[in-house]
Amino acid sequence: MSNTNQKSGGAASTGHSWDGIEELTNPVPRWWIWSFYFTVVICIIYWIVYPAWPVGKGFTTGTFNDITYNVVDKNTGEAKEVTTHWNTRALFMADMQRGKEALKQKAYMDEVSKASFDEILADPEKMAFARSLAKGIYGDNCAACHGSGGTGVVGLFPNLADDDWLWGGKVEQIQATIEHGRQGFMPAYTDTFTAEQLDAVAEYVLSLSGHSVDENKVATGKRIFNGQEGGCYYCHTTNATGMLSVGSANLTDSIWTVANVPAASNLEAKKDTVKSVVTNGISRKMPGWSERLSANDIKLLTVFIHELGGGK
Amino acid sequence: MAHSMAAKAEYNYDIIKRFAAMAMVWGVLGMFVGFYAASELAFPFLNFDSQYITFGRLRPVHTTLVIFGFGGSALFATSYYIVQRTCQARLHGDGMANFTFWGWQVSVALGVMSYMLGYTQAREYAEFEWPIDLLITVTWVIYLYVFVMTIRKRSQPHIYVANWFFIAFILATALLHVFNNLAMPVSLMGMKSYSLFSGVQDAMTQWWYGHNAVGFFLTAAFLGMMYYFVPKQAGRPIYSYRLSVIHFWALVFLYMWVGGHHLHWTALPDWTSTLAATFSIILLMPSWGGMINGIMTMSGAWDKLRTDPIMRFLIVSLSFYGMSTFEGPMMALKSVNALSHYTDWTIGHVHSGALGWVAMVSFGSFYHMVPKLYNTKMYSEKLIFTHFWLATIGIVLYITAMWTSGIGQGLILRAFDSYGNLAYTFVESVSYLHGPYVTRAIGGFLFVTGAAIMAYNLYMTAKQGKREAAEAAAAAA
Repeated sequence: MSNTNQKSGGAASTGHSWDGIEELTNPVPRWWIWSFYFTVVICIIYWIVYPAWPVGKGFTTGTFNDITYNVVDKNTGEAKEVTTHWNTRALFMADMQRGKEALKQKAYMDEVSKASFDEILADPEKMAFARSLAKGIYGDNCAACHGSGGTGVVGLFPNLADDDWLWGGKVEQIQATIEHGRQGFMPAYTDTFTAEQLDAVAEYVLSLSGHSVDENKVATGKRIFNGQEGGCYYCHTTNATGMLSVGSANLTDSIWTVANVPAASNLEAKKDTVKSVVTNGISRKMPGWSERLSANDIKLLTVFIHELGGGK
Repeated sequence: MAHSMAAKAEYNYDIIKRFAAMAMVWGVLGMFVGFYAASELAFPFLNFDSQYITFGRLRPVHTTLVIFGFGGSALFATSYYIVQRTCQARLHGDGMANFTFWGWQVSVALGVMSYMLGYTQAREYAEFEWPIDLLITVTWVIYLYVFVMTIRKRSQPHIYVANWFFIAFILATALLHVFNNLAMPVSLMGMKSYSLFSGVQDAMTQWWYGHNAVGFFLTAAFLGMMYYFVPKQAGRPIYSYRLSVIHFWALVFLYMWVGGHHLHWTALPDWTSTLAATFSIILLMPSWGGMINGIMTMSGAWDKLRTDPIMRFLIVSLSFYGMSTFEGPMMALKSVNALSHYTDWTIGHVHSGALGWVAMVSFGSFYHMVPKLYNTKMYSEKLIFTHFWLATIGIVLYITAMWTSGIGQGLILRAFDSYGNLAYTFVESVSYLHGPYVTRAIGGFLFVTGAAIMAYNLYMTAKQGKREAAEAAAAAA
């Protein structure tokens, strides 16, 4: 067997053969070995600059690469500058305190934190900032229930983009809602009414928003609604316009928050949805966010929600 | 020559045939599960509200079937084939070899069933709960014994390079498997266990395992496959013996350091993170050593690419190997990782290695090996070409889709607007992914279709080989 190989620049075989496979004595390609050395040099530089090798109980901290950031003293409240070797936490702190984007955001944030709601609402620049910040806060915290456009889910999560406010549409009211959360509750009238009474209540409720229904039943329903049999007026008031203090719905407008009346195809179906709410009651809970969002975040979110629904 | 013929007749091919068959069964099934899980991400209704097939449970089913079912069985098959042929010795211990077959297949089957039922250690690529881990351990030790004893029986003074890689793979996998799965069962009758490690040490142990599973199971072992089937199929000698020695030792030494790069910017100490990043950089050239040796071995036989579809599989696999071993060190840099981590770029990277390198080199090797096992020719060369194009187009669609979604995701999540606020909500980054997810599922569908065609082609080849053998026996009688 020949020990040279014509096609590979004449490199010789090592002389071994395994199942017919031979190996040539070609040297390691020069570019390969130099590239390898190059990666080693890069890494040595990396090791000099960054924390890299464990030594005893510590490690080499790296040099030429210090990070300066502020630490606030818990007792005195004073900010003190600290300079340390490169490390992830210091890098994060420095970026949050001195990064380009952080400074940009801080300048606006300082302004709006001093401003009142009225001042923010009147200033297009502050409003633009509020929209930009609150869009993210809303999207990451509120949209899961209220939907990305704020239209909610009928019966489950209130629509924030319409002109109807169960708990009030003034900025202070919206702010209180976000901070403390809300508990929407209507008792279930499961065995309270006979079928005729229930039917009459439903006819009355629908008549309030302009549905043409049986006059006699409406009269009966109104009596139940405003009397001791039903007592609906406790929360919905005798005008059926609802009360902000308990979050009871205004039944006289055409906006429905729980019973999906507009989606029902005929009068019977509309009545059934109303009856279902009366029979089963409502229990809805929105959590409070004051523990989770900062005061400034809530302030700007309030303005954002206010604008979303054409607030009061 | 007479000696080699006699030895050949005594090779244990039955065990190889069985492992090869199971590799194809698990491969087609596992790739299909991958395609289905990918479709679930694009169209979530596909989980049909069944807990057993939600993405979270199907995902480890997919990875286990393709890595351990397909990849593992393919490695058993090819390593048993290569060690016998390059040592000119029959595989040691038929009974023990059979045990490795059943131990491995039962482990894979039990594993995927247990995941669907909700049992998992929640360690990536090591989801098997402790009873299955014990079975794997026993199987693996016997595998090592069978392999080493066969090498000891070799009729050659030197051990062929492919076998070095296989030994490194078997030893390292044993070490990784045992240490990463150290866990305390809650009860002897139950599946649940808790890891012996906690916190960041647990995470580091897991990714020491996880990355070396990539390094030794999916890289070193498949380099072993490459070192036999590339020179065989090309009919060329290995380009450089010296390169094979240097890159082998560099590879096995360096891989062990790099697992920490999966944990950049976490509770992992900064120095650990730096070491992992830098060793990943140094690993680049040793990884490329295998590619260079493979490609230079083919050099001089380029004309075969026109006519030989197996050569195409092999050259594409080496190209993807080179590309993903370049991409890996780049992604291991902390600054790149800050963008790429927790995005689909990682998934794309894994699949350029898994589909492009691991699967393609296995396909090429099987197309070479299976006809030899049955002493016949491939049933259809045309179907090999069909498979080649389906697989290649599938990979390209898959990877480009994942680059698009991953890099896009990373950029969306870090974008600021002119006020210094984050420009996008999280859900906007999610809705952005839909298009790439559909494309990825299409790529996966093409890939599994190719694999199914291959399974059919190999099945018909085996059938044809058996028929020819029966006819020859009849003619002789």
